[in-house]
This record gives sequence, C-alpha cells and structure tokens, in this order.
Amino acid sequence: MNDLSATRLWFMRAGFLFLALLILFFHLLPLETVPRSWAGPDLILAFAFAWSLRRPEYVPPLALALIFLLFDLLLQRPPGLLALLALVGCENLKSRGRSLRDASFAAEWFTVAMITTLVLVGNRVILALALVPLPRLSLALSELAATILVYPMVVGVTHWVMGVRRTAPGDLDALGHRV
Amino acid sequence: MPKDRSSSSDYTGPLRRLLLAVLILILAGTFLLWRIDSPRVERFRAQITDRIVPNLDWAMAPVTGTINLLRDFQSYQRLAEQNRELRSELRQMQAWKEAALQLEQENARLLDLNNVRLDPRLTFITGVVLADSGSPFRQSVLLNVGARDGLVDGWATMDGIGLVGRISGVAKNTSRVILLTDASSRIPATIQPSGQRAIVAGDNSAAPPIDFIENPDLVRPGDRVISSGDGGVFPAGLLIGQVAADPGGRLRVRLAADYERLEFLRVLRHYGTETVSDSARVISNGLPPIAPAVSQ
Repeated sequence: MNDLSATRLWFMRAGFLFLALLILFFHLLPLETVPRSWAGPDLILAFAFAWSLRRPEYVPPLALALIFLLFDLLLQRPPGLLALLALVGCENLKSRGRSLRDASFAAEWFTVAMITTLVLVGNRVILALALVPLPRLSLALSELAATILVYPMVVGVTHWVMGVRRTAPGDLDALGHRV
Repeated sequence: MPKDRSSSSDYTGPLRRLLLAVLILILAGTFLLWRIDSPRVERFRAQITDRIVPNLDWAMAPVTGTINLLRDFQSYQRLAEQNRELRSELRQMQAWKEAALQLEQENARLLDLNNVRLDPRLTFITGVVLADSGSPFRQSVLLNVGARDGLVDGWATMDGIGLVGRISGVAKNTSRVILLTDASSRIPATIQPSGQRAIVAGDNSAAPPIDFIENPDLVRPGDRVISSGDGGVFPAGLLIGQVAADPGGRLRVRLAADYERLEFLRVLRHYGTETVSDSARVISNGLPPIAPAVSQ
C-alpha cells in the first residue's frame, strides 16, 4: 500500500508539471499577434489553487516556484514577482485546506477569489512601487475576472478528469498515515 | 490518531517553512535583480527561451497549422461577400497598377540619369516566427534566427510590405522582435508629404498613436508614415503605415504590415549610417575631394 501510494504521489507530481507545460505550450503558439482588448484567465494560477486545496502533497512548494518562475521568464513578465505572490497564495490555501474541507463549494470559491484578487492586485501595486510601466487596467481586470470565473470549471476538470479529490476522513495520506 | 499527526507535522513543519522561506527569498531576489540589472536578467531570459522554445517547434508547427486551418474554414462562410468586395477592389487596383508601372519606368530613368547608388549594405535575413509573447500584455514574437546568423539588437524587421518591429534580445538560435504595437516600442518617423518628424509610440493597441508631431496641422489622415532613421538605429525610408485619426481626434498609424498573420519576417542588416563628423579635415586633407569624382 505504502509503495503504491508513493508511486501515485510521484505520478501526480509529474502530472502537474506536464499540465503546466501544456498550458505554457498553448500560450506560446504564434496565434495572437494582434493586440487584444481583453485577457484570458491565468489558467495555471487557477489549477495551482485547486490542486493546493485538494492535495497539497501533489504540488510541493519547490515545483510550484519552478513552474511559476518558468512562466514569468517565458511569458515576458517581470521575473520572480508574480511567481512569489502565487507561491505565497498557494501556501496560504494549503494551510486553509483542512478548514475548507467540510465547507461548501461557495465558501471555497469565495476564498480562492479573494486570494486571486490579492495576488493580482499585489502584483500591480508592487510593480507600481518599483516604477515598472504597468499594463492597461482593463487588461488586468479582465484577467482577474476571467480567472475567478473559470475556477469552477478548473475544479470540475481537476475533480472528474484528473481524479484529484479531497482526502476524505479515514483515507491514508502519501506516507501511509491516517489524515 | 491526532497525536501522531501533530508529531509528524512538528517534524516536517520547520523544514517545510525553511524551504518556503528560501524559495520566497530567491524569487524576491530574482525580481530585485531584474529591477536593478535588467539587461543581465533579460539575457538570461533569452537564453532560457533559446533552450526551450526551439525544442517545442516540432509540436507547435502542426498545432498552429491546424488552428489556422479551422479559422480559415470559418472565414469561408463569408466567401461570396468577400468575392464581391475583392472584385471591386481589383478593378481599382488595375488602374493603380497602370500608374505604378509608368511611375516605375520614370523612376528608373531618373535614377539612371542621376547615377544614384542605393545603399548596397542593406541586405536581409528571413526568419520564421516560432512563438508569440504568450500573454496579451506584451506584443512580441520569437524568430528562429539569432546570434548564430549575425543578428544584432536594434535591427529592423519587416514583413513583405511594412515595418513590423525591432530586434530586442538575441540568443544563439533565437531572437525576440518587439512589435510596433508593444507599449515599450518607440520609433522615430517622418510623415510624408509634409516631412514632419514624429515618434510612433506603441500602446498595446492595433494602431499605435503618433507623438511629438512638430506641427499637427500639416498632417492629414491618409498621409504615409515612414521611418526617419533619426538616432542611427533604424535605416531610413521603411514604410510604417498610413495616418488615421481615431474618434477622439488623436492621430494614429494604420500599420502597413499584416499583423494578423506574421509567419516570415525579414531582418534588415544595418550597420549604422556613417556621419561626417570632422568636415575641416575632409577639406584640408591632401587631395582635393572633387578630383576623384570628376575622374569617374
């Protein structure tokens, strides 16, 4: 049992990495060379939040930091800042995971929306303090709204397609302990 | 077993917190380093991109092709309407073609009469667009030519018709082109026929505004905007687009290059225009400057 769950743990960690690379791949496809007036959701942020709430052991901080930093570097964002804020947001959600386990989905959605807002607004505030030229407000707001709106879908995919579910009372965690 | 759980979290807790603190410090350090010494971190970014993106090319090309095919399929629905538009446009174009041919002949004759030698050093390399910036906040594309092909920061890139952007960030196999629409793009331009100098400043919209026009009254929508070559970064005389006024009355450039489909881009080799800096020595130095010109 212990051996099996360890295999599954590493399999799911690799799965998250693969998911991140897939999202990055579709970001980089040379399809959008005309400026748009709206921005799509930050999918990797939504997936990281959903996984952090459900199975924190599948998304260790080191993997999250590496993935977010890679996104920052390849998507021409100021490197490190959004990665830092997203990592702190994920860790915050992990610490809330136990209390949110018995709550309804609405409560979870509200918490995630709050954290997303804090991360994206914090990103903008720090950029402004560091005197980095800011992107247009309409773009940033549409990204925030899209990320919050897409979260239930991301949770659905996480739950039913990828099989990442909350641990129920009585389940064994990765190390064979009762949670 | 609550006791068991608390003891295990006592064991992993401090380690985990330490790792998290280290990660946060590293990320914050990266951001500070970027803010302080941006060129070095941007070079690092270009190298990382250079390592990763060309390896994805085998998968990106077919997926991009398929998606473009589907988009084309959608546009087939408007085929009849487009056909009618194209036919009327074609009729206008035939008149223009006649005029262009006559002008071309006249131009060739005049050039011949004047013995004009166009700049022979302005050659180009053509690259394929590998990837875009990946986010709606930045407007740039990645080309598959780089330092290996002798590219230098600041060179101009064009599609077949007009200026597209400038090279900013060269790695070994790839280079990044900042498009004219990006918020950080500033290109010195001349507006013809009035000859006004201006700056085409990107603002993340499809038609970048024109700033710092000396006398806006002399500029009319429909005028041609070409690069002026001021500052020695760009070759002069590259077509950028046409002046257009937006509903707010602000002058913008309707870009000549086809931004909908950027597939192949030309990078113009440009080694800077040599300026005559020390005119006194040119005149007083040995041979009279007129003599060789006359002997030719």
